[in-house]
Amino acid sequence: VIQSVRRAAAILRELGSGHPRLGVTELADRLGLAKATVYGLLRALEEDELVEHDAETGKYRLGPALLQLGNAFLDGHELRARSLLWADSLADRTSEAVRVGVPNGANMLIVHHVFRPDNSVQILEVGAAIPWHACALGKVAAAYRDEHALGELLAGPLPRLTGRTVVEPTELREQLEAVRHAGVAVEDQEAVIGEAEVAAPVFDHSDLAVGAIGVAGPVERLLPEGAALAHVVAAVKEAGRGLSRDLRGVRRYARQP
Amino acid sequence: MVERPGDREGPGGQGRTVAEPPTLDAAFVLRWVRGLAGAIHEHRDYLTQLDAAIGDADHGVNMDRGFAAALGKLEADAGSSPGDLLELVGTTLVLSVGGAAGPLYGSALRQMGRALDGSGPFDGEGLLVSLRAAEDEIRRLGAAQLGDKTIVDALDPAIHAFERGLRSGEDLAAAATRARAAAEDGMRATVPMQARKGRASYLGPRSVGHQDPGATSTALLFAALEQAVTAEGP
Repeated sequence: VIQSVRRAAAILRELGSGHPRLGVTELADRLGLAKATVYGLLRALEEDELVEHDAETGKYRLGPALLQLGNAFLDGHELRARSLLWADSLADRTSEAVRVGVPNGANMLIVHHVFRPDNSVQILEVGAAIPWHACALGKVAAAYRDEHALGELLAGPLPRLTGRTVVEPTELREQLEAVRHAGVAVEDQEAVIGEAEVAAPVFDHSDLAVGAIGVAGPVERLLPEGAALAHVVAAVKEAGRGLSRDLRGVRRYARQP
Repeated sequence: MVERPGDREGPGGQGRTVAEPPTLDAAFVLRWVRGLAGAIHEHRDYLTQLDAAIGDADHGVNMDRGFAAALGKLEADAGSSPGDLLELVGTTLVLSVGGAAGPLYGSALRQMGRALDGSGPFDGEGLLVSLRAAEDEIRRLGAAQLGDKTIVDALDPAIHAFERGLRSGEDLAAAATRARAAAEDGMRATVPMQARKGRASYLGPRSVGHQDPGATSTALLFAALEQAVTAEGP
């Protein structure tokens, strides 16, 4: 049974990775399994709407039940649920996009995203995984983790996403020290050229950083003259503090400058 | 010194070993940028569509705005050297294009302009040197390698093809045609790649199966270059 679950998961992952429609034979080839095995698994997955069968092409694709599961995952996330109002008001105050992230291995997983309120076309980034060292959300979450967890993060891999990504562990440690001092992290085009981010940590009752909230936007607007605007920093900190208070984790903020 | 009409084609010169005289002048730069601005405008929605799949849905709109502004600046400029004109285009793009495209293409074209020493027209070798300067700049800014699903995947093979053309004794037009074909091959080769740079990289394996918008605009750039080297006049 465990093997079947594993194989079913492998089918879902295959359909979710750039090959949105695959036939039984293609899937069997990719996974190195017998066609009959794959067919049986697909039929079971189809019954639960985890995959869909396209009668016209005879191919399979991911099913609607996955969207419901994904939403259930997000709904069950306390940080996300609590962040909705704070994120809206932060976007409103700064006129920039707001993202809320939680650590997931070496990445920050975006669990909430509010568009920049300017009616421009934007793409929802919920579900995106951004290497922790390349974004302000990740830097600020890492800055308040214990030494053991931090050591593992710094051991890498630390991919270079732009020419400005800091990938040297000693330099990253210095950055994190500065983050702890300032209470916010500022990132200048380390993840995407032309973009910057300012983020503050979110603490829960255990006083550990469970995630981060921040504004992201064009570098020329967010960091004119190379430094973050004071009112943006203040608004981001206030959102982090408010969200932490909602999660009963204010002590850490009280100790901050 | 007063320049007389006969001086340019006068004998002696620099003792060049290249067979072709330098023909890439300010009018060439204008033809190139005009052709590119037109192609980007024509493909604006297509570029935006590609970007919407794996980026921020702004590549077409940003590039269109930037190149229209750059063309306006060029047409208002009279008497600058080809190198200065390319720098002007680059600076305009940096200032007027948002997202990653402005800084990348803008800085690259600026470096192209700076790599063209002297104020007169340049030849295929000069174009090769300046294209290489553009690629160096893009690699420096983006830390991109071949296979990362970026501009570099179209730019690098195009420059190599252009160089092979020149080395095998082809004329400028034939070498530019080779470069355009290689850029288009490189652009198509980004489809199965998993993005390792830019916002597309956040999607992980989901970026597979989509053509990179940056590599696509780079292919347009080489198509416009091919047109511009074979045409004459402004």
